[in-house]
Amino acid sequence: MSDIVPPEVRPKPAVPAKPPNVGAPSPSSPFPPQGLGVGGGGISAPPPSAIPVPTGSHGPIHGGSHSVGHGIGHSVSHAGSHTAPHSGGHSHSGSHSSSGGSTLLGYIGIDTIIEQMRKKTMKTGFDFNIMVVGHSGLGKSTLVNTLFKSQVSRRSAGWARDEKIPKTVEIKAVSHVIEEGGVKMKLTVVDTPGFGDQINNDNCWEPISKYINEQYEKFLKEEVNITRKKRIPDTRVHCCLYFISPTGHSLRQLDTEFMKRLSHSVNIIPVIAKADTLTIEERQEFKQRVRKELEMSGIEFYPQKEFDDDMEDKSDNDKIREAMPFAVVGSDKEYQVNGKRVLGRKTAWGIVEVENPNHCEFAQLRDFLIRSHLQDLKEVTHNIHYETYRAKRLNENGGLHPISSAETQESNL
Amino acid sequence: MTSNIRYKSRIPVKTEDSIEEKQYVGFATLPNQVHRKSVKKGFDFTLMVAGESGMGKSTLVNSLFLTDLYKDRKLLNAEERINQTVEIIKHTVDIEEKGVKLKLTIVDTPGFGDAVNNNECWKPITDYIDQQFEQYFRDESGLNRKNIQDNRVHCCLYFIPPFGHGLRPVDVEFMKALHEKVNIIPLIAKADCLTPNEIKKLKDRIREEIDKFGIKVYQFPECDSDEDEEFKQLDKELKECTPFAVIGSNTVVEARGQRVRGRLYPWGIVEVENQSHCDFVKLRNMLIRSHMHDLKDVTCDVHYENYRAQCIQEMTSKLAQDNRMESPIPILPLSTPDVDTEKLIKMKDEELKRMQEMLNKMQQQMHDKEQ
Repeated sequence: MSDIVPPEVRPKPAVPAKPPNVGAPSPSSPFPPQGLGVGGGGISAPPPSAIPVPTGSHGPIHGGSHSVGHGIGHSVSHAGSHTAPHSGGHSHSGSHSSSGGSTLLGYIGIDTIIEQMRKKTMKTGFDFNIMVVGHSGLGKSTLVNTLFKSQVSRRSAGWARDEKIPKTVEIKAVSHVIEEGGVKMKLTVVDTPGFGDQINNDNCWEPISKYINEQYEKFLKEEVNITRKKRIPDTRVHCCLYFISPTGHSLRQLDTEFMKRLSHSVNIIPVIAKADTLTIEERQEFKQRVRKELEMSGIEFYPQKEFDDDMEDKSDNDKIREAMPFAVVGSDKEYQVNGKRVLGRKTAWGIVEVENPNHCEFAQLRDFLIRSHLQDLKEVTHNIHYETYRAKRLNENGGLHPISSAETQESNL
Repeated sequence: MTSNIRYKSRIPVKTEDSIEEKQYVGFATLPNQVHRKSVKKGFDFTLMVAGESGMGKSTLVNSLFLTDLYKDRKLLNAEERINQTVEIIKHTVDIEEKGVKLKLTIVDTPGFGDAVNNNECWKPITDYIDQQFEQYFRDESGLNRKNIQDNRVHCCLYFIPPFGHGLRPVDVEFMKALHEKVNIIPLIAKADCLTPNEIKKLKDRIREEIDKFGIKVYQFPECDSDEDEEFKQLDKELKECTPFAVIGSNTVVEARGQRVRGRLYPWGIVEVENQSHCDFVKLRNMLIRSHMHDLKDVTCDVHYENYRAQCIQEMTSKLAQDNRMESPIPILPLSTPDVDTEKLIKMKDEELKRMQEMLNKMQQQMHDKEQ
């Protein structure tokens, strides 16, 4: 396992957003499930004792030590010069010189820093906050459960009979710790019940916008403190999955309004929900129309064009952008197909396989979201969206509370 | 249509017993006479489809009547739809089958439920229905009632999205605004994205909510007690199946060696007319083959009468307020025409009749030419 480097451990120079080049998503087969913890490769229902207890708030589960991974990445980028090779690949041995550096006369061992970082990250784990937005009944909770292969969303299969549509949009955040291959991740799913369900949906995006800004504010306040914690708890929303209803025609007004207003404060990834209602041709046409509309409205969804670093990034991301929005189907039930057990939906005319790329694009979404761009999502959130918020706040008159005196404030900033 | 005449017409039995012949008067052939006259006159039926865009309304209408009513439709994108209000669009088509003519009018409601703020988005629809009632009321109360055009809406198919967990607020409000003006038949649209279990749960939930909110959807009439068992069984199944979960399709695919209307997916083929796939056949049978006339009757006898009674009551109460006098006969706001205007009306009527005959002739010619 020593040659499998989890993507998030790469030392990052102080340039924002670059998806780490992990050759092929190396674990093509799931990791063997490690001791405790939910998730991993196990598809069967986890033993009841191992289901993590959902915490209502963002109270740290591991006693506040779970943001180190992120913190390290952060501090490394400020540490100045690093001779870690910028090129992709896992060249550990030999004297491969970095771009423009002097040729090394022997092996020093600088590249073992990757190994050291990896060990540290594995000890401390990292966190990821994902928000799901869309009309009720579009399969948001099911999709998140399918993505992370565990019951992380507040609603497991089925819904309570007396669940009512809330009158205003509520924000409900639930955290779980899932573990895979020795790496712990504290996953927080922020649900938004009530979005778009009323007759009059004016300004239903406001509670969501407020929540996102509140998280930035929290982080900012911690940062500005004189004595700040070693690891600032990161509750900022790293990614927002927006669920588009598969009408087959085009985007709805509410969709464009929401995405226009929020694409500058959070990474938005549009997905087409319940894609088993569209045939392949309808799906292609619908996607084209949606992409055109997004372009016409000036909505920049993740991965944003302006943050592509180099040609390699651009070509990778272009391919992804061409395929977005992904048309997904979620399911937490398994069926037997051709001797294999697969996640799917069984109807009278066939079984829709969730992970079959010919049926829907769930596998693509999962690879994109988790296996290649997970760390990048966090970085764009931190380096771009958060910085934008911060700059705006600090430019406001009397923006920050006087936690420290004015001079120390400036020296901190 | 002929298969649905449930009257039992007695054919005179030629037996040696002449007493029976003497007792046979012969008015049992009345239904046949009515049938012949109606076939000559032709039928008309107005169907309204309502629901958000993208629910498959047009596709379903095309599948139901095996026509393509929406050939040159242009779909608007989100920007163009910002200032769109709910419109009412009518498509009329004449269908003929086995000598029976049907003038079918489809009333479409684009823009319903599509905006961010959908407050009172059903108002244009209720206004339209009321207008048709009002027009019929005036025509009926007028002097010349020979050529009344019946544009009243006989049935409204309401499409409920399958993505939700039951009725949404906009669904409830719409149905409550319309259930006393028109026969509402709720449908679950795009049912091919639901598994059989989910369909059952959703149907139960919708039925519960319809009861809870007191929405009066169209009820199938009870069977007569002298119907045969098979018919009663079918009727019972029909009633338990509401709301129907339907799928529509504009394309023909190859399935099990036959060419059927359906949708081709990588994981299988959905057949529109397969009863185990969806309730399309039940809907079609109910709408066209067994209950079309009943829908018209309920519209005339219940909804229209309600409207009429309400209208008259309003007028009399207004009059009572104005004149402080009880007037037993409703005085309509129509002036009594004098001799000249009467002559004019007669002339115009004859002209109208002549024009209609000419139109029929032309249609017949075009029909012959096509053949």
